[in-house]
Amino acid sequence: MPKFTRRRLLAGAAPLVAAPVLGKMTLGSDAGAANRTLQGHVHDHRSAGHAAMIGQNVPAVGGPRDLDALLYPPPPLPYEPGRIREYEVRARDREIEVAPGVFFPAWTYNGTVPGPVLRATEGDILRVNFTNAGSHPHTIHFHGIHPTNKDGVFEIVNSGEEFTYEFEARPAGFHPYHCHSTPLKKHIHKGLYGALIIDPKEPRPPAQELVMVMNGYDTDGDGANNFYTVNGRSFYYARYPITVRRSELVRVYVANLTEFDLINSFHLHADFFHYQPNGTGDYREYTDSVMQCQGQRGVIEIEFANTGLFMFHAHQSEFTELGWMGFFNVVD
Amino acid sequence: MEAKAARRGELSWRLWALVPIVLLSLAVGGYVASGASLVDLIGRNPPQADEFDIRRVQFERGQIRIRVTNPQQDDLTIASITVDDAIVPFEVDGPRTLGRLRSSTVVVRYDWVADDPISVGVTSSSGIETVEEVAAAVETPGANAGAFLGYAIIGFLVGVLPIALGLLWLPSLRRIEQRWLTAFMALTGGLLSFLGVEALFEAFELQAAVPGALGGPGLVLLGVAGSFLTMTFISGRFSGEGGAALGGVALATLVAIGIGFHNFGEGLAIGTSFAFGQLTLGSFLIVGFMIHNVTEGLGIAAPAADERSGVSLPRLATLAVIAGAPTIAGAWLGGFAANDVLAALFFGAAAGAAFEVVAEVARYVSKRDPAGLRSGYAIGGFLAGIAVMYVTGLLAA
Repeated sequence: MPKFTRRRLLAGAAPLVAAPVLGKMTLGSDAGAANRTLQGHVHDHRSAGHAAMIGQNVPAVGGPRDLDALLYPPPPLPYEPGRIREYEVRARDREIEVAPGVFFPAWTYNGTVPGPVLRATEGDILRVNFTNAGSHPHTIHFHGIHPTNKDGVFEIVNSGEEFTYEFEARPAGFHPYHCHSTPLKKHIHKGLYGALIIDPKEPRPPAQELVMVMNGYDTDGDGANNFYTVNGRSFYYARYPITVRRSELVRVYVANLTEFDLINSFHLHADFFHYQPNGTGDYREYTDSVMQCQGQRGVIEIEFANTGLFMFHAHQSEFTELGWMGFFNVVD
Repeated sequence: MEAKAARRGELSWRLWALVPIVLLSLAVGGYVASGASLVDLIGRNPPQADEFDIRRVQFERGQIRIRVTNPQQDDLTIASITVDDAIVPFEVDGPRTLGRLRSSTVVVRYDWVADDPISVGVTSSSGIETVEEVAAAVETPGANAGAFLGYAIIGFLVGVLPIALGLLWLPSLRRIEQRWLTAFMALTGGLLSFLGVEALFEAFELQAAVPGALGGPGLVLLGVAGSFLTMTFISGRFSGEGGAALGGVALATLVAIGIGFHNFGEGLAIGTSFAFGQLTLGSFLIVGFMIHNVTEGLGIAAPAADERSGVSLPRLATLAVIAGAPTIAGAWLGGFAANDVLAALFFGAAAGAAFEVVAEVARYVSKRDPAGLRSGYAIGGFLAGIAVMYVTGLLAA
């Protein structure tokens, strides 16, 4: 766009001036302009906010069930001593579509960002066979209690190599996992992270369970995110609301793996929920908003009292408007 | 016989002139057909920047229109649009995937807030976001009669009127001594040099902001050389066969044309800046421009003062229009159809025209005045011209 340097200097003189006559001649009066703008606001509802951001109009990638594997965790298994839970995880480079027509050259676990939802019951032996089919050295670092030589920090798995992480799953709760190769920031924001649910030996009450991993994508490499999502695609749950039943327990495992930003958050409209930080301990917060630093996570439990569309989003407006927004469709 | 052979020889040499072209086509074809294999021998081309050139952001009732161009070699696809860092639904008037130097207009339904700063971002399919910060969202004037008239009045006030006033110095100038007339002629030279340097600087600044494929200092040179040579041609016509130095009304006309070029650029700048909300027009600013431009009238009057037969009033009016009216045309163009490439070209042209007229004035003074360019009057006048422009320019700052 044209920028006239000398004229910009000239523009600096303007506040000194009041020129009603000229103003009238050149603009047809400011008041007229303001009126026109106001009328525009009154008569023009085409751009009316959130109504434009639900259903068909929402710029979101893909079909209605594309993210089911990330949203719905594998079922919990009752405690059984000595059981082995085995998972195959493969790191590979893959270009993913994060918003319609916007492609991000991601590093993935099993081809998706976030990676697969892993699940074990406390006391199970968790065995994760990791293959690095990507172009850079990677690891998997699990949050939890385990031997340091299974921590995914020193045991760098080079391209084409394999490594098996094997340890007892504990403590019960909800934990993230992510790559711990350096440069750390790069390896995480490229997409190498996911969620691990460790069920307590004493099982939680049955519920409709959901997993939401909050993340962001810095698609132009300037150290700031251009898109925010849960489970990897911006505005996906605004395009395809998550259907749940009224008066039945809904349990949402929420984790924040957003790089670059200090915090992320989850806010629910029109109802309150109980929040258990890390999915551990007895402490519950009764709230409609939770804030998480990168790597923080927790478990939300709620029985919706009403039916209808319940919005959820980050309570950072910026994140909301860059894709981290969706709806529960609560039905009878 | 001999003539025929000579003609045949001539023909074959003409044909021979085609040989390099044919061979070049073959070489180019061969290289293109080989794909990128030559580059692979050396290394790898870096990826393209995938940035758009945002040419224009227009604010209309309930919507924002963003004109984007693909400045790079590879295709670029408009994938996502943000306004103030928020993703917004949008429509594209034109193709979504843009070939090299192709443009489309993105239309966003948006309740923008008048007078607030606002930014728009265009994200390509590779996720690269090009952001344009707008200092203040102001409804873009449509090409209606009111705005048309408004720009015309501004152009008249800052262009035609002050120059006409400056020309009123003509009777006084006619009565002064030759050495003082020389001083005023040199003053004209100083004024024009100042305007030329300023226009040149502006042209280079504009050129630098234009995306690589369209910009380049050569664009400015094209403007400078184009107007300089056109003016040289015109002055040649005026002076006739003899090639004598121009004087009197002819030189005054040339000065008026040179100043007209400059004022076209000035009008363009005012119109564009106003249309983009970068310039607040107020009486102080207008007055500043008027005082600044009165000196341009003086510049035209000085050579005209030398006309023995006297200058008719209609002729003077014509001179004022030649020098001042382009401000109006420039303001119209800038306000309704600004284009940074054209703007860089016009400012270059303004510089070229100014420099050509300075050369004409110098030629005139050196022939006309026995003391020539080395006299204190000439030197002092020239420096005074620059100083006057600088000082009156402060009024408009």
